[in-house]
Amino acid sequence: MGFGMARKTTGGSARAGALAALVCLAPLAHAQDAPSSVAPLAGSGASAPTAMVAPPLSASCDVPASDLAGPIALPNFTAALQKRETVTILAIGSSSTAGTGSSNTAKTYPSQLEAILEKTLKGEDVIIINRGLPGEVAQSTAERIKSEVALKKPDLVLWQTGTNDALARVPASDFAATVRSTVQWLKDNQTDVALVGLQYAPRLARDSNYAEIRDALKRVAAEENVLYVSRYDAMRFIAQTRANLHLMAQDGFHLNDLGYQCMAEHVAHALIVSLFMKKVRPAAN
Amino acid sequence: MRAPNEIDFWRGFALVTIFINHIPGLYFERFTFRNVSLSDSAELFVFLAGVALRKLVEGPVAGLKPGAIVFRLEGRALNVYVAQTVITEVAIALLAAASLLLDAPFMIDWHNASAVFNQPVEAHIGLVLLTHQLGYFNILPLYVVLMFVAPLIALTHRYAPAALAPASFAIYAFALISGINFPTWPVEGTWFFNPLSWQFIYCLGFILGGADGLGGFARRHRQSLRRLAIPIVAAGAVLALMNFSPSPISVPQPKLLFMFDKTFLSPARLVHSLALTALFAGAFATIERWSPAGGKFLSLLGRNSLNVFCAASLLSLICQIVRFVYGGHVATDALIVILGLTVMGLVAWASEWRARLPADRPARAR
Repeated sequence: MGFGMARKTTGGSARAGALAALVCLAPLAHAQDAPSSVAPLAGSGASAPTAMVAPPLSASCDVPASDLAGPIALPNFTAALQKRETVTILAIGSSSTAGTGSSNTAKTYPSQLEAILEKTLKGEDVIIINRGLPGEVAQSTAERIKSEVALKKPDLVLWQTGTNDALARVPASDFAATVRSTVQWLKDNQTDVALVGLQYAPRLARDSNYAEIRDALKRVAAEENVLYVSRYDAMRFIAQTRANLHLMAQDGFHLNDLGYQCMAEHVAHALIVSLFMKKVRPAAN
Repeated sequence: MRAPNEIDFWRGFALVTIFINHIPGLYFERFTFRNVSLSDSAELFVFLAGVALRKLVEGPVAGLKPGAIVFRLEGRALNVYVAQTVITEVAIALLAAASLLLDAPFMIDWHNASAVFNQPVEAHIGLVLLTHQLGYFNILPLYVVLMFVAPLIALTHRYAPAALAPASFAIYAFALISGINFPTWPVEGTWFFNPLSWQFIYCLGFILGGADGLGGFARRHRQSLRRLAIPIVAAGAVLALMNFSPSPISVPQPKLLFMFDKTFLSPARLVHSLALTALFAGAFATIERWSPAGGKFLSLLGRNSLNVFCAASLLSLICQIVRFVYGGHVATDALIVILGLTVMGLVAWASEWRARLPADRPARAR
């Protein structure tokens, strides 16, 4: 392990930050005081009905399930949770992963997600490594994914991507090819991956390239049968139904603390729903 | 100005490739050699930098005392450092200007620039310390580190030549085995080009650039090495076309040794790059016969590589902004490449024209 290599969001001030994030998530935490805290996949179980185990979304971030993600099995991540008390997630992507627009590192989506997952998966130590690099296109991230996976051996990769490819006018077919080959590489290497899509920003809603990249990502996820978190639909739903809520920072493009809270909740929801799918395939390794 | 030569030619070639590869989505990117290769122009560029250092050490600074060598080479390092900090600042200003003019706040986010605007206190320290690097502006920081250690390489070569290759290899192996890399800050991560790894190909360029030792051996066995290189280059092309890279799960520890990792310059990339060098070393004479203008143009770029590199880096960023505004089409992409090559040529020509000016002055005075 190199010096300054991992931005480990557990421990020390980050832990305090995670707790702070939990305070922010009061509605969520409160809801979990009920029997919904989940013992992670006891034994060969994993057969609990989805609706009971998925962490409820807070009032601000609530969206219909159809606007979020369809459950897809995460066999390797599930196996890791069954076998170990510590699981590692690599959160990689661009500014939405790095947390541009948030007030501090505890408010980034990976930090908030870590808190939610630890709260939900009682007894599990969830380590999320944040490798967000603002403004990066998928092709560069794809190179980093391979290095990071080799070095850190994560149980799950959360790849937030697409926005910068759309803005750099990368052809959707090239973008799709990059994502597809990387997803296949991750699958070949027994590493689960969830694709976290582009954000909704009113300014970009009419940008045809933006829509093409968004659709391409969704299509690759469907073809490769990997989890896809439709951030765009979720954010658009919130923007259209709760106009007084502001998920965006002042630049109208990056997320603010509430935006990152919703992003973390949405990703957490998609993951948990997928983890507790009725039939979980055994891990390939 | 020196006549077109092999090193300048391939440096020019690497510069053009880097320019094209640094515009994501550009149609013509598919024709660059990294699509059929495990290594890319970065390896070539750093290897040739090592060769250039050898030429300098055996040429202009050969007779200098150790102190003077240090002084002279650190001056070059300082030049590169200044170039890096200036082009990074210009890039930041370009993104800021684009974000204002196009009313596109996300522009200041591109290539990891956002920390400069969101964490200015930390980012400005990082910019000066080279721990904050913009995407695509991350090869010169490696070059700065290599230049700063160049006197050490030159003096080791002078006083203990046999120690240079083993010492450089030991650092390379240490980085591969330990996974240690330089940290970035304030955006936490690591350098895209790990200097501990990449110094090895720089030193190999330095060593193979000489006519004695390993360089002499390579020259004496050029034909055999070329024959050895053919299957390696062919295998690299097949693997690249298949998009194959080893499984980090199944390869044994230390994993970086078996991966095709660019940051740590995994052995597969290094060997492939050396094989490419062996295969194409000496090809310049043929290329020049076949296309004298092409040979002359790329050599012109290569002779002025730092200026051309800086211009090309900024130009590729400008082209990215242009593509954002006007979209990416084959025709406009062709225009971008033609414009890019023209500007790179003009910068190289202007650099040499400027260098010639003082020599002309006495003539005009007469």
